[in-house]
Amino acid sequence: MQRVVSRLDALVLFVTIVAIPVALWGAFLHAPTEQTMGAVQRIFYFHVPSAIMAYVAVVVLLGSSIVYLSRRDLAWDDLSKAATEVCLLFCTLVLITGPIWAKPAWGTWWTWEARLTSTLVLEILLIAALMVRRYAGNRDLGARLAAIIGITIAADVYVVHKAVDWWRGMHPEVFKAGNRGSLDERMTSVLFICMGAMFLLCITLIRLRYRTARIETRTEALRLERLD
Amino acid sequence: MTAPAIAATGLTRRFGQIRALRGVDLRLERGRRLALFGANGAGKTTLLRILGLGLAPDAGSLAIDGLDPRKDAQAARSRIGWLAHASLLYADLTARQNLEFWSRLYGVEDPAARAGQLLEEMQLTAYAEEPAGILSRGLSQRLSLARAMVHEPALLLLDEPFTGLDPYAADGLRARLKTTGGADTSFVLATHRIDDGLALSDQWIVLTRGKIVAAGSSPETDPQTVADAFFPARGAA
Amino acid sequence: MKTVGFWRAAWLVARKDLQLEWRTFDALAASVVFAVVVLLVFQFAVGGGPARQLSADALVPGVLWLAISFSSVVGIARSMDVERRGDTLAGLFRAPIDRGAIYAGKLIANAVRIALLEVILVPLAIVFFNASLGGAWLELIFVLALCSFGLCALGTLFGAIVSRVGRGEALLSTLLLPASTPLLLAGVTATGALFRGDGLASVSRWLGMAAGFGLLYFFVALATFEYVLEE
Repeated sequence: MQRVVSRLDALVLFVTIVAIPVALWGAFLHAPTEQTMGAVQRIFYFHVPSAIMAYVAVVVLLGSSIVYLSRRDLAWDDLSKAATEVCLLFCTLVLITGPIWAKPAWGTWWTWEARLTSTLVLEILLIAALMVRRYAGNRDLGARLAAIIGITIAADVYVVHKAVDWWRGMHPEVFKAGNRGSLDERMTSVLFICMGAMFLLCITLIRLRYRTARIETRTEALRLERLD
Repeated sequence: MTAPAIAATGLTRRFGQIRALRGVDLRLERGRRLALFGANGAGKTTLLRILGLGLAPDAGSLAIDGLDPRKDAQAARSRIGWLAHASLLYADLTARQNLEFWSRLYGVEDPAARAGQLLEEMQLTAYAEEPAGILSRGLSQRLSLARAMVHEPALLLLDEPFTGLDPYAADGLRARLKTTGGADTSFVLATHRIDDGLALSDQWIVLTRGKIVAAGSSPETDPQTVADAFFPARGAA
Repeated sequence: MKTVGFWRAAWLVARKDLQLEWRTFDALAASVVFAVVVLLVFQFAVGGGPARQLSADALVPGVLWLAISFSSVVGIARSMDVERRGDTLAGLFRAPIDRGAIYAGKLIANAVRIALLEVILVPLAIVFFNASLGGAWLELIFVLALCSFGLCALGTLFGAIVSRVGRGEALLSTLLLPASTPLLLAGVTATGALFRGDGLASVSRWLGMAAGFGLLYFFVALATFEYVLEE
């Protein structure tokens, strides 16, 4: 019998549990208040890492979808399911934290800018992928169709981003590589801490969701065997 | 010497943890007709799907009319005709248009002539210009049989062809099946109906829990023998 | 007996779809009616007030592509419905043809359908909103063809997926419309340029993107369509 949570998982989980409060402390107490935007700028310590983690999850989704289609091992489908759900979570976080910042900063909740639009498109497509999975009559069909959608999602998000970029022309670059020097030293380090904490959270969530999905797959198989 | 219609050894297939087929060996010569008996969930449908190349086996070897489907997929598929639960017909095309479409897709030389010939053989000429969707279940099943025959397959797979037919329509289909097969076309007839299966076939097998548990030659078999193998529990009682 | 080649099989599937369309006018009628309704509603909603201030060349491209994309969802969903009744997709899957050809065939039929839809829709939109194209007809046809191809390339793949899980227009629009945002932006931008009297050169990178989008999904779908149909 395999352990549900391996030692490595437990270690990563432990580090994550420590890292999250550190990140919170960094974002709310350690980092200085930004001069022009004020306290609301602090939401960026979560907003930016969430967006990056959503893309990390999309990469996992793309990889596991391709491997599933070629190998047909349901373990890869479990991974792609985990990636889809975790990606949806981070996407939702981005879409919630974004407007909270945008309203005071830009004076509007929403604008059809490249990143916003592609994140919204990603969110909708992820939901659609989960719907297809659920509606499919059997597990294999759902896994195959979800894998195909997973591949198209990954390709699409990139194209959507490019297209809206052209369409709108300009968009606010908050943490551009070039102007990092103008950021307060503490701000940069807090951003990196938050990035690390979110990365750990992302990995932990995908791992745990993957484990539970494996268990679901096995119980489902046992249930079917009993009915056989 | 012609290759056997089916030459299969050690076919296995799992669905997750379920072993739907556990090592099936089957050989059917050209022109021979096989009745495939088995209770629901015995693996009949899985075996038919594998023989029809709709599903790949996990292990074992399979040759259809001497062709290895893994090497020669399209050629092997062109040797098989398939009568399924669904009609596989376009409801809004006429009977004739349906047959012509499938003939063309299977690369038949003269699709119009083949369609006309099959309509006649299946006694459907009177309904040739009617949309397939309005045909009765019996007529539609005969048209589906014609559809399965457009390319003169070496192997015809029949999955419960009598389901949903009234006795009269079943008689009509039975008569068509009697003249089908023989000579060049082999068929596998999967059914619960032991009488029909024995009357229409040359040999039979019974599948239970993914294995062949009994086999024999149809003309000299008493239906009770099959029934006993079919329901082992009842045979013992 | 010889098995038929890729393009011959694709053509047979397309011809069969168009034959069905000719007999019933199902998908075409549904999508044309739907598209005209979109135009009408738009005209009622904005035609009186804002449209007076908004010039036609700013309004027509948006309305046109809105109508095209929504009604293409209706048309594609119908074209897949046709295959559901007799489980004929499974029949095509078992036929001795390349599975990619089934996709290519349905794509051709969908493209022809959308082309017919546009033949009716574009003049109507120009009349309803009193726009002027200034003779750039060939350019407009080119833009419509390019963007509609992409829409069909992705739509045919998603249509088959949705049909496999037994859902209709609602799920198809959830998948197709967000995913085709780049195409719609390209279509609106390029069509807008034509109505403003600017040449296609000013929007060449949009046309490049629309072409790339169409080709990308055409090849993704060719490679994966087999898995959609698999039993």
